Amino acid sequence: MMLRWAWKTLIRQRGGLFGSAGGLAGAFILVIFFSAVFRGEATQIVAYLENTRPDIWVMQRGVSNMHMATSFVYDWKADKIARLPGVKRVTPIVYLNTIVHAGDQDAFSFIVGLQEGSSRAGPWALAGGRSQLHSGETVIPEVLSKLSGVGIGDSVTITDRSFKIVGLSEETYSMANSVTFVSMSDLTDILSAFGTYSYLLVDLEEGIDARGFTKTIMDEIEKVNAMTHGDFVRSDFALGMMMGGEIIFMMTVICSGLAVLILGFTSYTQVMRKRRELAIAKAVGIRNLFLYTAVVFHAMVITLLALLLTGIFAIVFFPFISTLVPQVTLVVSIGDLAGMAVVAIIVAAISALIPAYLVSRLDPATVFQV
Amino acid sequence: MFLLAWRQLCLDPARTFLTALALGAVIAVVLTLEGFEQGQYYQLARTVFNRQADLIVTQAGVSNLMAVRSSIPQLSREKVESIAGVVNAHPLAWISLIYEKEGEKTPVFLFVVDTKGGPVHMVRGNGIPKGKEIILNDSLAKKYHLNIGDPFVVFDFEFTVVGISKDSAALFTPFAFVNFDGMIDLFIETDIAPDLTTFPMLSFLLVDLEPGAQREAVAEEIERRVPEVDVFTPGQLAESDMNMGRGFLGPVMGLLVFVGYIIGLLVVGLVMYAEVRSRLRNFGVLKALGFTHVRLIYGIILQALLLLMISIPVGVILGLGTASFIHTFGPVYLIRWYEPTTFLSTILGSGFFAILGALIPLRSIRRADPMLAFQGE
Repeated sequence: MMLRWAWKTLIRQRGGLFGSAGGLAGAFILVIFFSAVFRGEATQIVAYLENTRPDIWVMQRGVSNMHMATSFVYDWKADKIARLPGVKRVTPIVYLNTIVHAGDQDAFSFIVGLQEGSSRAGPWALAGGRSQLHSGETVIPEVLSKLSGVGIGDSVTITDRSFKIVGLSEETYSMANSVTFVSMSDLTDILSAFGTYSYLLVDLEEGIDARGFTKTIMDEIEKVNAMTHGDFVRSDFALGMMMGGEIIFMMTVICSGLAVLILGFTSYTQVMRKRRELAIAKAVGIRNLFLYTAVVFHAMVITLLALLLTGIFAIVFFPFISTLVPQVTLVVSIGDLAGMAVVAIIVAAISALIPAYLVSRLDPATVFQV
Repeated sequence: MFLLAWRQLCLDPARTFLTALALGAVIAVVLTLEGFEQGQYYQLARTVFNRQADLIVTQAGVSNLMAVRSSIPQLSREKVESIAGVVNAHPLAWISLIYEKEGEKTPVFLFVVDTKGGPVHMVRGNGIPKGKEIILNDSLAKKYHLNIGDPFVVFDFEFTVVGISKDSAALFTPFAFVNFDGMIDLFIETDIAPDLTTFPMLSFLLVDLEPGAQREAVAEEIERRVPEVDVFTPGQLAESDMNMGRGFLGPVMGLLVFVGYIIGLLVVGLVMYAEVRSRLRNFGVLKALGFTHVRLIYGIILQALLLLMISIPVGVILGLGTASFIHTFGPVYLIRWYEPTTFLSTILGSGFFAILGALIPLRSIRRADPMLAFQGE
């Protein structure tokens, strides 16, 4: 009976219901947004790895990441790995993490140096131009081209070198790490890294166990680290997420506090408006437990509606935001939404304490007050 | 109307308090978001200024201190120091590396210093690293429970922690400081670099000028006589790094702040909607007494603004608490909302959205019939 009363009260005040759910959803969206930003960035950080997808990555011993890492492997080690039975192909890349100056835009970028004439490890989707690179040429992300207004035939600057744009790549832009391709000879020159590569992409013959082969490589070649593609991607993704881990946690706490206040305010207002009805209920002998159930139900309905709005917003509008603001990649996971649901239930429970306290102190004589 | 709006707020102090708390929390969240963004830019600028140089020399074509590769030929130092007005040119380099302990990884900017450019604010210990000594940022020390005398192992090479510094982080990344001997030992003993020339052993020069020397004139002279370098004042380089940060963080933070304001709008709207709904009879009475719609709306806006005025100090207190909470749990982040422009823009933005929110129950006011005054509840 009390639940029906609570439901009718809510339905009668649709403006208030949606207003409070909207405010609450806003707080939840802030939390999801932070998480989605870092997940989006972490996804973009591994975009290059995911799309080149060798069986094994080989790098300098002590290195297990690409993001913010530095690795040097002697060129003869690549030759030695290529001669191991079971290896189909070894593709070396040289890599530098720095800024690309394009027009008035500065973009953090993975600069990947590719062997001339090789298409392995290069851009996987082109919006225009070509992917084969010669000295002095570059392929930049299409998004960077749009943001900066420079296109094919124009130039960008990396450290002190000018590179002519010959291609525009897709799926390679993010605010923290876009991917820019240049020729290996140019990047080697910039790094003064003659006779060395940064990472080796090892493709194996059909049927060879990659995990087992990483051990073979590390046994046969001194001072290198070999990781399966999956392990390497996981390692970089985890690093990307870790960089935002603390701030995501703190924003979750802060926005949850905000949500408690919004919901607390709504529940308080509802109870104060309906205090005479609640007093009547008390006067006719309805126990406090039923009244508590009603206020908890009230908080839960608003919270669930807020969660629903948050989910819809995240699923429907987040991809749209990435289209409007291409610098931002937002990725929402089911895990994030599930975590948000747990937080929301805690928020609802805490918020219900305020009206529950008011109900417990409500005097049945209130009904006779004018 | 002002008196009426004020009395409405005084009628139910508990409700007004709760409302002010909710609005204050919204203001605190927006201040925190704005402060978080400003804090990142400030950290970038501080990184430049904390090197305490009169001029900073970079590789030609490089106009940032952070997040870029700069490599200057070793001989350039001598050339720079030979220019009139220059007292010293202190070498500086940095590399990014990933520190890993017990499976937990953290990217670190490792600054390599000689006679200048080290940490400015020490929490404890020595501010000048020697040999295999290292100074860590406090967030890094806190995260891994490291203290003075503890080993800090990177690439199987063991440094000893001799100092903990603060205010030494940027781009969500803590700094550590070693000297050039330590870096060369690290490279040689660990094979981190097959060839030492691979790493930029000299990335920047921190130039001290003679008293009275003209900075711009000396900078021009250095660039003329040492064409492989560019020269910046700390202010120019800080601005350049902040611009880089704005390009990186601006779009995301802009979106977050916008969402914050929308929450504020909804909260004010919700408050005023509840207010109007609970006072429909009063509005009916006021209309019967000859109050026009415009005056009633004016009263509602006034009430929203009064609420906002009460909420601002609440928001400031909550903002201070939030900043302190963030700094305690993640010292690598800096919340800097107390910049006058940031604070003022947040208050003005909140005021704008408070007025917008107050207009949400407009329809209900219009529908308030004078006859309601005579109806029973």
